Amino acid sequence: MMNRWLRLSGMVALLAVLATIPAVFGPYYTNLFVTFAIFAVFSVSLNLLLGYTGLFSFGHAIFFGAGGYGTALALKHISGIGLLPAFGAGVLAAVVLALLLCPIVVRLSGNAFAMLHLAFAQVMYVLALKLRGITGGEDGIGNFPIPPLTIPGVASFPMKDSPQNFYYFAIVILGLSLWLMWFFTKTPFGQIQLAIRENAKRVDYLGFRVSQSKAVIYVVSAAFAGVTGSIYGMFHNLVSADGSLGAGVSFAPIINIMIGGIGSFLGPVLGTAIFQIFEELISRFTDKVELVMGLTLVLIIMFAPMGVLGVARTLKQKWFPAATGGDAPPKK
Amino acid sequence: MMNILETKDLFHDFSGLKVLFGVNLQIKEGERHAIIGPNGAGKTTLFNIITGTYTPSAGQIFFKGRDITGMQPFELSRIGMGRSFQITSTFTRLTAFQNIRLAVLSKRGIRFNLLRRVDRMHDITQETEAVLERINLMAERDRPASALSYGKHRALEISLALAGNPELVLLDEFAAGMSRDETHNAVALVRRLTEGKTVLIIEHDMDVVFSLADRITVLHHGQILATGTPAEIRQNQAVKDAYLGDLEV
Repeated sequence: MMNRWLRLSGMVALLAVLATIPAVFGPYYTNLFVTFAIFAVFSVSLNLLLGYTGLFSFGHAIFFGAGGYGTALALKHISGIGLLPAFGAGVLAAVVLALLLCPIVVRLSGNAFAMLHLAFAQVMYVLALKLRGITGGEDGIGNFPIPPLTIPGVASFPMKDSPQNFYYFAIVILGLSLWLMWFFTKTPFGQIQLAIRENAKRVDYLGFRVSQSKAVIYVVSAAFAGVTGSIYGMFHNLVSADGSLGAGVSFAPIINIMIGGIGSFLGPVLGTAIFQIFEELISRFTDKVELVMGLTLVLIIMFAPMGVLGVARTLKQKWFPAATGGDAPPKK
Repeated sequence: MMNILETKDLFHDFSGLKVLFGVNLQIKEGERHAIIGPNGAGKTTLFNIITGTYTPSAGQIFFKGRDITGMQPFELSRIGMGRSFQITSTFTRLTAFQNIRLAVLSKRGIRFNLLRRVDRMHDITQETEAVLERINLMAERDRPASALSYGKHRALEISLALAGNPELVLLDEFAAGMSRDETHNAVALVRRLTEGKTVLIIEHDMDVVFSLADRITVLHHGQILATGTPAEIRQNQAVKDAYLGDLEV
């Protein structure tokens, strides 16, 4: 009972904080927060594959990019399209791409899975640069119209010149995505993913079809990556090869997951926060941000391979040995 | 009595290395049948072929009268075949409870349910706990499988094969590496859990074989040397020459 009240008041407090961010912190930090939220959810979507199913992808940007380009193309070419249908077009593009790749990738795991995605990402990146007629080449697709969010007969919220409205739109979508992904990990299907990560062979002998389960989680993960890519594109009003499909976009969530901790649902969120705050701080002192970030990452991998949450868990076990457990225990 | 499992002229070779030469195995419904034989006789290969790991080079396999040659492990599991592994193969970082729950979920045919939280499915929780109770693992309910003692980990391994309530269970050296006491407990456990089921075991420990099996098949160089009751196998001269030797059994 006490617990439920605590959790409820925690939720209310969190919502209150989220609601007041634009008013309290102003546009600069609000935008920083939207960027954080996008990459946090994007990282969690990758962690569905990496942390929960044991599938390491070096090319998760393909779904981020598919979401971005899908939405941008819809907004550019379909006049009068609403905000949500355009958003849906982006998610659909990511899902369709995942469905196309499924038959190949579900048969793979380990290095082959990782490297094939690196290759896919490079192909998509080059295609985005070369197919100028569709993608705008190096310039990308920019300045596409951003329609207002219209609830027929109730209200219409302009998005184009209202960062505040867009903030609320993005936070609701991203928050919902985060909750849905969390929920999925708690379902029987989520359990099967954990089992595949642990011992795919045995899963087969228990009567679960491994390739099918992998396919479903792959599409789910891609869909949420598409969500974040679409929001990102609309947020910047620009979708480009470097910004949405580049190697950096694939590596960012991997780094976030590494920093936060691979073994838990919220680890990637924490990792994204730490990474962004750190990046923001470093950039005030030096322009060699990548160098410092790279060195930090090396140190983390060497001394805290389970990330910040891994360290926290180790300390907790040391100080409170009785408290253990959790859904996704740390990697050995 | 009907044969629940039959193999017809099974041949298998691994890229030239011939392992099985025309194995004709008949397992009666409800019996506990042991396959024994020296290392390299093809016992585990036979198991792997029966449970769908490999497709045989030639020959057929019938389960409950149905040709199952070439079927995949997950399909065989769904039609009532369970197996355990010689090298413990559990979900090591999941708890004992989570391990067994997977088998229970599979048995209920729950695979792609993304709409309900699994910890709110109370019937699943109850059934899983009942299994843990039966195998005396309730105290270790929330410990990861890797943290269990060897004997308990093996018990978990066997129970993963049995929790789905299969009609035919194949146990590959379930007592491998166990101490005398642990072996004794494991035999009792298998006896208790497989009541009314057909059991096929591979075993090197002759005490286990002769105390558990209704019938024994001796495999030697990929061929069946003899099949019979424990008493018949003990008397069989060919078996003595090839395998049991002067072993006091």
